Amino acid sequence: MHTLPFDTVLIANRGEIAARIIKTLRNLGLRSAIAYHEVDALTPAVSMADLAIPISGRTPVASYLDFAQIIAAARKAGAGALHPGYGLLSENAEFAKAVIEAGITFIGPAPEAIELMGDKIRARNFVQRNGFPVVPCAIEEDEPTTFVSRAQAVGFPLLVKPSAGGGGKGMRIVRDLSALEAAIEQARSEACRYFGDGRLYVERYLEIPRHIEVQVLGDAFGNLVHLFERECSVQRRFQKIIEETPSPALSPELRKRICEAAVGIARAAQYQNAGTVEFILSEGAFYFLEMNTRLQVEHPVTEMITGVDLIAEQVYAAAGRELSLSQSDIVPNGHAIELRLYAEAPERGYVPTTGKVLLLEFPDGVRIDSGVMQGQHITPAFDPMLAKIIVHAPSRIEAALKAHRAVRELVLLGCETNANLLARILADETFLGGQFHTGYLEENPHLAADNFATGLCAFLASAALLTRPVRASADAVPELHATLGSWRN
Amino acid sequence: MYHSFELDRVDHRLWLSTSQQGYRLHLRDQVIDPVAFTHHSESSGILTIAGESEPVRFAIEGDLIHLHIRGRTRVLRYNDPLRTFAPANDEIRPLTARAPMPGVVVAITVSPGQSVSAGMALMMVESMKLETIIRSPRDGIVDRIHVEQGDSFEHDAVLVTLSKEGR
Amino acid sequence: MQRIDSVADVNSQAFRRNDFHNRQLAAELKERQRAARFDRPERDFERLRRQQKLFVRERLAALLDPETPFLELSTLAANKAYDGEVPTAAQVVGIGIVAGREVIVHADDASVKSGAWYPLSVKKIVRALDIAIENRLPVIHLCDCAGGFLPLQAEFFADRYHAGRILRNQSILSKMGVPQVAIVMGHCTAAGAYVPALSEYNIMVEGTGAIFLGGPPVVKAATGEQVSAEDLGGALMHTNVSGTSDYVASSEMHAIAIARDIVARLHQPAKTWIDREAPEPPAYSASELYGIIPTDTRAQFDMREIIARLVDGSRFHEYQPRYGTSLLCGFARLHGYQVGILANNGVLFGDSSLKGAHFIQLCDKNRTPLLFLQNVTGFMVGREYERRGITKDGAKLIMAVSGASVPKFTIVCNSSHGAGTYAMSGRAFDPRFVFSWPNSQISAMGAEQAAGVLTHVKARQLARAGGRLSEQQLAAIREPILEEYHERSSAYYATSEIWDDGILDPADTRTALAIALSASLNTPIDAPQYGVFRL
Repeated sequence: MHTLPFDTVLIANRGEIAARIIKTLRNLGLRSAIAYHEVDALTPAVSMADLAIPISGRTPVASYLDFAQIIAAARKAGAGALHPGYGLLSENAEFAKAVIEAGITFIGPAPEAIELMGDKIRARNFVQRNGFPVVPCAIEEDEPTTFVSRAQAVGFPLLVKPSAGGGGKGMRIVRDLSALEAAIEQARSEACRYFGDGRLYVERYLEIPRHIEVQVLGDAFGNLVHLFERECSVQRRFQKIIEETPSPALSPELRKRICEAAVGIARAAQYQNAGTVEFILSEGAFYFLEMNTRLQVEHPVTEMITGVDLIAEQVYAAAGRELSLSQSDIVPNGHAIELRLYAEAPERGYVPTTGKVLLLEFPDGVRIDSGVMQGQHITPAFDPMLAKIIVHAPSRIEAALKAHRAVRELVLLGCETNANLLARILADETFLGGQFHTGYLEENPHLAADNFATGLCAFLASAALLTRPVRASADAVPELHATLGSWRN
Repeated sequence: MYHSFELDRVDHRLWLSTSQQGYRLHLRDQVIDPVAFTHHSESSGILTIAGESEPVRFAIEGDLIHLHIRGRTRVLRYNDPLRTFAPANDEIRPLTARAPMPGVVVAITVSPGQSVSAGMALMMVESMKLETIIRSPRDGIVDRIHVEQGDSFEHDAVLVTLSKEGR
Repeated sequence: MQRIDSVADVNSQAFRRNDFHNRQLAAELKERQRAARFDRPERDFERLRRQQKLFVRERLAALLDPETPFLELSTLAANKAYDGEVPTAAQVVGIGIVAGREVIVHADDASVKSGAWYPLSVKKIVRALDIAIENRLPVIHLCDCAGGFLPLQAEFFADRYHAGRILRNQSILSKMGVPQVAIVMGHCTAAGAYVPALSEYNIMVEGTGAIFLGGPPVVKAATGEQVSAEDLGGALMHTNVSGTSDYVASSEMHAIAIARDIVARLHQPAKTWIDREAPEPPAYSASELYGIIPTDTRAQFDMREIIARLVDGSRFHEYQPRYGTSLLCGFARLHGYQVGILANNGVLFGDSSLKGAHFIQLCDKNRTPLLFLQNVTGFMVGREYERRGITKDGAKLIMAVSGASVPKFTIVCNSSHGAGTYAMSGRAFDPRFVFSWPNSQISAMGAEQAAGVLTHVKARQLARAGGRLSEQQLAAIREPILEEYHERSSAYYATSEIWDDGILDPADTRTALAIALSASLNTPIDAPQYGVFRL
């Protein structure tokens, strides 16, 4: 094995992904350094890293976004490479350039690829130009006089959207031509009212959309492979909760087409390193959504079924090595599910929760990528994801059962989490039947609601027996009177 | 007076009584006999309830009891009756800060119109060669300061008068 | 110990007739108690709500430990007095558990005449505090009293056992080291002001609680000073300025929570040890008592049948089973506590008196509390009995009853008349508790007998004035005498006057006695010591 051109890697990230990266670096015989804000001092990554360099900022997040401090930390650590993880600076082309200019290897794609794919409209146009499917749409301002006819050409049902919009305001579903013009007028007046901007566009309304993404891996020699898809349709407010591979929605033929499309898109972008091409799947057709030029949160499910360490591949690719895998080497095995454990209360509209982790016990026999440890304070400073539980089993149903068992065995006390919700989803027939889509949780609000009556007696009994005054008041009553109970004469 | 635990913003009243095999749990509409808890470690144990054994993980944080039983996590709050029935506002606290002993004003740290919270320093006084901080008895707004720096005062003299907020 | 073999035939006509009769009496009792406790004109509840006060029964429920017993005493006090307008004598008294401690509760019932003290109210409070003294029970006072009912002040103010005795008893309790906690939930005026002041701890409810010797009208009349109740004796003044009160509470529930916390902190002296085993239920159901107790108080029945339905396992060690058989003596257990029972199986003779006096001394030496089950018309009379010294033998029994150091408990099961009432540990002999059954009669003589004597006296007076009386005229004299005598010897009259500590449903007797026994053991048992027995 050739030695790598660097021996120390700075991790410009935190939480579970920082810890995850350190594990691979250790396996590769590399030193890990981490830049951290003091609120993260008591987290797994900081305690695992060979070197931890404090950074600071106006807010904890601001410190992790500070190029200068992070590059200075990398220099201080003698790091020859930098891994940005996901989120934070991972898709910031300027940052990638600054790292490279500092003479440090950026573990990720070239800044040009980040730039190309980072802009949604530019990426969409690029993909369409290269002959890959995107959601059909018509933009009014391209040529206002022909808007209605272009809209009609997109095909019904349509979604009329304000260009300046967000949050669903002003959006209208149109199912046939007769309603189109009225819908445009209504949407425009609402758009004016909400955003002071009446510009509109229409997009094909995709019924029961599913979120399917494909992991790709490229090197500097033009080699590009895919590592199959991941399905991430269990979402709440555009936040993924449960991901799995393979997707129960894909036939082998559709899988082949979607994976090949992903490789084609990456190839067109001359993509190097690990990336993810996201698609919307609706009624048997798929459309390009966007490309993430970084490692994904849900990468472990791919690792489980392919046996590939994606971070190791990222390091090798960044180090200029040729991919050791050819497409035919990548054979999926079994089914993997990832559960995201969040510090939030689904029962109360998913509000973020905080607290001190008083007790933490992870289940055995499953993979845990955790960013928390016992004693740690969960603050509202960051994304509320605490840890991921990843299971691997021969079949989907076995994986779901295993995940259900694991999430019920997981003990995290001191900060409310979504563990109860995860358990409810894993026992839900719709999920188990594989017939869900991105609106699944919105359509099934009962899943977010906890039934506090379940097992209530056991909780009350435990609380009573563990509370000193309650026990003391029982113990204080003389035996005779306890025996007589609430007798009255 | 029953004990009360809050779960998901609902109060559950209960009472434990001793029974021959441990305890009897009295809930609003049922009695469970026996219930018992065996500690295995400082954060785990076995709950015996109606003949069944349930492993329990727990963490106690003041009046909060964090529990994990059969794959479910719940947080219950013990409603200490002394706190539950105590006034939510500080209506019963006096609106005046009085001198605990005769002395001299060293420094005044608030001014009229300023809003103060219970326990906040209002002034420093010297008395019996000891410097003492006079603190606000409650939340409110400084209405009047009855002394100036260097003034001497008698025991129980009113030093600061507060007004209720929003008056 | 041998189990009593009941010979009662539960299928007999007599049993069923008794059962029907006594169940009716028990139901009537429960209904009267319920009415006395809860039936109030709506306007009185309205007033309490307006004043933001809880009904005394709600206060009590919050104060007591849930799932523990409460032995309410003298519920029907004053039921035959003041035209029935002062139910429970406007006082709730009972023994219960607060924060795990056995306590006696005294609560003014402001839903009755604003909690004003009537003569029988005072008697009930004094009795409550006597119980506290005798049994060393901490007292919880829930004070909410408008003051004494002045039109009847001559009956409750000046005498030895009048209102002053309340304050005296409070002071004695304190001296004995038996603590009291008072919650001021209304006005405590005049003598009432001293109730919280003489308690070891007191709590005032802000807004409704006030303590003053003279209320605002009295102050105005006396000195012309105009002052509000709050300013004169409110919670803030007494807790911040006068130091008369210890804690201020924002509500009644808050005050009760504070009181419970105080009681939880009280020192609990070890109880007096007496022989006790694990309890065992009687072999015969207590509900069979209804079939045993006769419909006519004059009908005789075997007290063993009663004992079999009161004591553990129905086991009874009978002492001197063949001697003085009109007084049944023996050992049994009640909820595990060993007791010595004396029960009447007929009129008292010389031998039964000697047997009783001897048995009391055995129990006293043995630290065994005494239980008297009364069904007695008195001592045997007649020339022959006097010659054999029935009076001197009766004196021995009375001497033994008076001198016994162990706690005594008395149940008026059926009839209780003449010197028999005394010799069987009547109220005057300081049994720790006296309870009556609803069928019972208590008087100096049996009603028929007394009516006969009174009719005879009246007839003689009339005869001296001339003329003989016809049977009809005799009956006209006799009937009203008999009726009034019946009325004034009934259990309801006795309990109205607080001659007992309450009427019990016979089926409740075992539990009530267990609570009373347990309470009595808070006081040490002195070494036996007696006066001179006339031998």
